[in-house]
Amino acid sequence: MIGQNTATRKITLYALLALVMLFFIGPIIWFILLSIRPPSTAFTMPPVLNFTPDLGAFTRTMVDPGDNSGQAVNSLIVAISAVLLNLPFSVPAAYALSRFKFRRKKFLMLWYLSLLMAPPVAFLIPYFILMTNVGLSGTYLSMVLVMQTLTIPFSIWLMKSFIDEVPREIEEAARIDGASGWTIMFRVVLPLVMPGLIVTSMFAFVFAWNNAAFPLVLSSQRTATLPIGTLSYFTNTGVTWGNIAAAAVVAMLPPMIIFLVFDRFVVRGLTFGAVKG
Amino acid sequence: MSHAQVAPARPNRLRAWLPFLLIAPSVILLLSLVLYPLLFALKNSFYFWNLQRSAEPLQFIGLANYKMVLSGPEFLPSLTNTLILSVTGTIIEFALGLAVALLLANRLPGMSVSRALLILPTTIAPVVVGFLFRYMYDPAGGLAGWLLTLIGAPPPAEGILGSSTTALAAILFADVWQWTPFFAIVLYAGLLSVSPSLIEAARLDGASAWTMLWRIKLPLVMKTAVIIIILRFMQLFNTFDLVLVLTKGGPGLSSRTLGYTLYQQGLVDFNIGLASASTWIIVIMVNILVTLYAAIAFKNWEW
Repeated sequence: MIGQNTATRKITLYALLALVMLFFIGPIIWFILLSIRPPSTAFTMPPVLNFTPDLGAFTRTMVDPGDNSGQAVNSLIVAISAVLLNLPFSVPAAYALSRFKFRRKKFLMLWYLSLLMAPPVAFLIPYFILMTNVGLSGTYLSMVLVMQTLTIPFSIWLMKSFIDEVPREIEEAARIDGASGWTIMFRVVLPLVMPGLIVTSMFAFVFAWNNAAFPLVLSSQRTATLPIGTLSYFTNTGVTWGNIAAAAVVAMLPPMIIFLVFDRFVVRGLTFGAVKG
Repeated sequence: MSHAQVAPARPNRLRAWLPFLLIAPSVILLLSLVLYPLLFALKNSFYFWNLQRSAEPLQFIGLANYKMVLSGPEFLPSLTNTLILSVTGTIIEFALGLAVALLLANRLPGMSVSRALLILPTTIAPVVVGFLFRYMYDPAGGLAGWLLTLIGAPPPAEGILGSSTTALAAILFADVWQWTPFFAIVLYAGLLSVSPSLIEAARLDGASAWTMLWRIKLPLVMKTAVIIIILRFMQLFNTFDLVLVLTKGGPGLSSRTLGYTLYQQGLVDFNIGLASASTWIIVIMVNILVTLYAAIAFKNWEW
């Protein structure tokens, strides 16, 4: 009796799980299929599933003429630079917020957090005019700089949560052994939080990689990133869905791989370290 | 051995200043990146300035821009749509996410793999999610329309995105698809921290599954929940890329959000004065919302 009960329960649970997965993963597969299906089957209902895969859209977008491959490189340059620029600002701040007690700490933490809640559109025009005035409009640097309003607060919150986990006693011991502040930072603390540094960098990379708002106004034809590239397909007459899908799949892959590889840290990353997971 | 005696007063003073020295660079960089746009918008909100007509502000017009924003035909529909989107979106995503989290908490074989894969929608750039759903919603052979017809609820003839009754719901649906997994996975992590012995004790006391959810599990995940609720609410409040790709706020004003109205004023009409006034109105609203929420939700946090 009980055995039968648990069996039906199990079947119900698995059926529910299948439904959940179909709902959340199905659309992604459907979109990936769009990038490899013959254009004639893209809008055929009921869905055609037995087609011969065609990598033509990837060839067109990435190789010949490859309008989007340069944009993929631009996305990489912008996202990697945004991460590299953010670390020297955020790691020391995270260390101070983790290790020292001072007034207004809570206010400061919430102030960083509030930057992540700011409406990005509100900043677009001022940034566009600012960057035009200082002659940086259309450069990688302009995008990398303004993305710091996202990457620095994010990294400070996340890195603080990792530094919090390093026992102070280790630093005290090093100090008693006569190590200087720099030595403690670079030889003791940083090696211990290396996993945190990697996770933080990878998630900050995804933040910058997925950002479309800032490149929308700050990039030029030459420095446009991948989201802008996919966006431009829509303003042209005659939408080529296969090409959009191929470029979008290339844009989707790095964040997906990063999240799957750092699965253990997903909860922590998405809540800026506030939830350990 | 002797370093305590040798250590002069200077390092101590340095140590007192150290936290500020470590924090200052980030604060200075961020302040300059944030203050410039805010002050720029504040100044120009009092000017008539259309970028198509002049590279410089044209004329001081006092509060006229603010009046124009607040009494303009877009403002109220935008505000209403934005509130509908952020309130219902957050509630649906939280409720569905909790349901999925409870399902995963059964921890049957295969569920941990599912949990790992479930995050995928959340990792995608909102612009790309927009394309994905534009394809699904396409009136000429999109999967969504076909499925809806199949279950006996055919979409409007103008298409899901082309009808003013369904456009906003379609944006909401895409957002729910992308962010429910986020809630599910974070709440699942919260549920795992509920100790099994507590659940067992409640069960022995004859508590129903429903009572256990409301009285034990939910209170324990609330600390986790407060932060993701405000994050998501504010992201929804600021949504504009999804609107840009899916509907451009249309048809009419039916899916206009505050973020998209601002985009339209500044980057389509190039009316910098008007957009600047909108910016300040939105910034003030966001600040009130965040401050209120932070005062309530983070009251008992340790820093």
